[in-house]
Amino acid sequence: MDIFLQTLVAGILKGGLYGLIGIGMSLIMGVMGIINLAHGQLMMVAMYITFVLSHYVGIDPYLSLFITMPSLFLLGALIQKYTLNPLMEVDSILPENQVLMTVGIGMVLVETSRFIFTSDYKSVQTSYSDATFYLGEISFSVALVIAFFIAIGFTLFMFWFLLKTDIGRSIRATAQDKDAALLMGVDSKKITIITFGLGAALVGAAGTILMPIYYLFPDIGGPFTRKAFVITILGGLGSTVGAIFGGLTLGLAEAFGASYIGMAYDDMIGLIIFILVLLFLPGGFKRLTKI
Amino acid sequence: MKKSRILIGFLVALGLIFNFGISQSFAGDTIKVGIVLPLTGKLAKFGEIENKSFLMALEEINGSGGVNGKKIELIIEDTTGKPDVGRSAVEKLITQDKVVMLGGGYSSSVTWATIAVAQQNKIPFLVNTGSADKLTEQGWEYIFRLNPPVSEYPGAFASFLQAKAQDVKTVAILHENSLFGQSGSKKFVKRCEALGLEVVMKEGYEAGAIDFSPLLMKVKSKKTDLVYMISYIMDASLLMRQAKQLNLNPKLFVGGAAGFTLPEFEKNAGKASNFVYSATLWTPSVPYPGAKAYYDNYVAKYNGPTEYHGAEAYSAMYVIADTLKRAKSMGRDDIRNSLAKTNLITSFGPVKFISYGKKINQNKLPTFLVQWIDGKLETVWPEKVATKAFVYPTPKWSKR
Amino acid sequence: MKKFIPLIILIVLCLFPVVIQNAYYQHLMILVFIWVAIGSGWNVIAGFTGQVSFGDAAFFGTGAYTAGLLAHHFHISAWWGMAFGGFAAMAVAFPFGWICFRLRGPYFALASLALNEVCRHIATIAEPLTQGMVGILIMPTFLSKIPYYYIALALAVLSVVFVQFVMKSKWGYYFLSIREDQDAAESMGIDTHKYKMVSLNIAAFLTGMAGALFMNYMGFIDPEVVFSLHDISIMAILVGIIGGVGTIYGPAVGALVMVAVHEFFRTGFFGLFKGLAAMTGSDAMISVAKTISHAHVLGFGILVVLVILYLPNGIVGDWDKLVGKIIPFKKKEAAS
Repeated sequence: MDIFLQTLVAGILKGGLYGLIGIGMSLIMGVMGIINLAHGQLMMVAMYITFVLSHYVGIDPYLSLFITMPSLFLLGALIQKYTLNPLMEVDSILPENQVLMTVGIGMVLVETSRFIFTSDYKSVQTSYSDATFYLGEISFSVALVIAFFIAIGFTLFMFWFLLKTDIGRSIRATAQDKDAALLMGVDSKKITIITFGLGAALVGAAGTILMPIYYLFPDIGGPFTRKAFVITILGGLGSTVGAIFGGLTLGLAEAFGASYIGMAYDDMIGLIIFILVLLFLPGGFKRLTKI
Repeated sequence: MKKSRILIGFLVALGLIFNFGISQSFAGDTIKVGIVLPLTGKLAKFGEIENKSFLMALEEINGSGGVNGKKIELIIEDTTGKPDVGRSAVEKLITQDKVVMLGGGYSSSVTWATIAVAQQNKIPFLVNTGSADKLTEQGWEYIFRLNPPVSEYPGAFASFLQAKAQDVKTVAILHENSLFGQSGSKKFVKRCEALGLEVVMKEGYEAGAIDFSPLLMKVKSKKTDLVYMISYIMDASLLMRQAKQLNLNPKLFVGGAAGFTLPEFEKNAGKASNFVYSATLWTPSVPYPGAKAYYDNYVAKYNGPTEYHGAEAYSAMYVIADTLKRAKSMGRDDIRNSLAKTNLITSFGPVKFISYGKKINQNKLPTFLVQWIDGKLETVWPEKVATKAFVYPTPKWSKR
Repeated sequence: MKKFIPLIILIVLCLFPVVIQNAYYQHLMILVFIWVAIGSGWNVIAGFTGQVSFGDAAFFGTGAYTAGLLAHHFHISAWWGMAFGGFAAMAVAFPFGWICFRLRGPYFALASLALNEVCRHIATIAEPLTQGMVGILIMPTFLSKIPYYYIALALAVLSVVFVQFVMKSKWGYYFLSIREDQDAAESMGIDTHKYKMVSLNIAAFLTGMAGALFMNYMGFIDPEVVFSLHDISIMAILVGIIGGVGTIYGPAVGALVMVAVHEFFRTGFFGLFKGLAAMTGSDAMISVAKTISHAHVLGFGILVVLVILYLPNGIVGDWDKLVGKIIPFKKKEAAS
């Protein structure tokens, strides 16, 4: 029973974090229709910023959210403005050129980090990195619990933002029907820049709150990019609530897979769920919840 | 016209390659030795320690006159930690740089892929870190290994168990899914059977996981006396931190070298590293001449700590120099024969290549058991080289 | 004149190992040829049929493992892998395509990426079959590079000629019409699902053959080498993009550029800076040499970004544009 409960807790806590990683990807895929294969790499950049702030300036990782998120927003916006948007105008054979561009950007980000920081592992140790509290026999890592609530907080904020603000409405309109939105007077270029910026800032936040419990090296982004698109497909494009559900599903599937099948399989379980959802529930959970 | 331009471009590109190629070779009156190491990529951390140690030894050797009046030139190629790149690098060293012998390799899989090239070209290769058993079990007469194979890593630990911890009955083995982890764990299962211990759990994981708690909960529910882990540093740190969080209390935690002996392990795992045992091949306190001096000089020169990988590389350089000094000529077979007759005391231990079991050209060395005690890596077994008394059984997390 | 150019290139390539006896350059050319085959395969499914695949390594690895496992378990020559590797890769491609071709565009790309990862995990975990991360080691048949050189050259020529042949056939037109507008193709009575399958299987076959050759040539594989998302699948895409998506000779140019650029940076401009550093003995040069070799992948990444931005159809596809930009005074000639 303990194993079951502990696995459940582990899955939910990890799932919250996954959700936050997924929202950004979900927004970008929903609005631009492109897979951002540099998503995990953007997270890696945020983690390095957090590391530098904590290691050299002494800023607490959670406080550095106020720096990493705007920086990542700026980075994302610049990437969209100067590398992805120009591609919409050039004439090329493959519509996927933008996706391929994100691959190139991802490489540049990884290698630039390697250039600056070498391949050494970095980590940020805080007083609460190891802190734990217990409910009965079940242990909770304080840092993971905080990360979970921050992730939920951001999700709720995004939900409100997309539903209630003008920019949010424009983003949703662009996601639903680009041409119609254009006709309604939405500046679609501006919207794409804001969306990519937001997506980058959100995954940046995820990277920052992961920093106290995890570690960092330049290649860390790849697996998270993969997780992010699994989550996005599970949850449905452009859906914040879907992303959280997708994140939780993936987190729980990995945790239960690790407990009851084998830890070596946890990545594969996520991928198989992904293919199944892609085939049998195209559109993801969004189709079931309609939000 | 369009296609002809493609052609011209093709040819120009080819031409460029050759022009630059020529500027590469610059001869001198040196003996060229090729070393392959992961200088970039995920394993660069260890590659860098070995690189610096090789260079430090080289400086000392060349500083005191080199080998028979000639200086040794090390040509160090980057494998980026990938077996296929390693093979290309070794081929380049053999055919282009015309090195007389090879060394390095670092990880088991890169070493495994590269020594086959050396054997086929009949160039002696001195392995100093790659530890999968099969490297010296192929009957390849040009391949020599300085370090013990992974199956012998827990040698000191096994004798410790028999002497001091007979109440350990059940074992859980956790390992990363790499050549080092997969082969090391299999060998450890055999060793446990020989010792009469029951392996109740053996599970691999993909390096880089965020959360090991499901795995550790399983260990907890099986209530094993011993948890044996084969992991690199960051997984090692996370495993221990999460074991602490989950209140997992076996009689002892033991690491199978690699990640568990590095200073970064203690730094990242923090208090959770306390009392963790690890097998190791070398510590600065081993009773070999020059061991402590190597450690101190390295720390002074490069301003950072070193560990057993560095000592392996440092000693390998001395073995190479000694081999070249005794070789009748710089021919491949003379060097091989000279290497086979090596009998040298290095700071990593005595080096003498023997055949036993299925292995040939293998150096046999005792291993050691270390334990992290209050932030310091202390040698605890065998007793005659111990720097501190061991702590057994490991105190429960709640009682620390 | 134009007609003979491929022939001239072929003759030059045939003479190459006779003239350049340096094994290192022969090795680089063999890598180029293997990449030509992989790139051509990718180009069929992605460039001509418009179904961008991120999972080429699944086919490459299957081909390589077919060769390796035949040698390992049945002790027959790994060269049999050249015969079976392509078909084994098709055996993976067939069910995958059957199921996943109902997905379009980015969704198919993601599914192929997932296929890549699933294959890698299976190869890692199925230790009794594949040896897991221990990998498969065989002793290469030839010590000299020359036999490999000609086999690889044959494979590269075969793939280019085969792709050209296919694209001139009826299939080729079907592929292009699927790329241009799948719905329109469907309404014209083209069985798009069937021809996407055909295209994918051609791609898988070529890539699988390349994998089998890789096993024979390299003599060592493990799951991380041959099922690598980054080093195989994405590189295949980059080879296609840099050379020119949807062009016959694009992958060949892309493969050459990719291998050249990689080695160029990895060896610090082929030892140019190391040489300068040794000659001048200046610390600055040594650090320049070191910096450049550390940045070899970075240089490649930047090249990719620039190519996509400024030459979206690759070097071959945008050749006139490239020539016009670099050598403006030759513009007239190019136009004529």
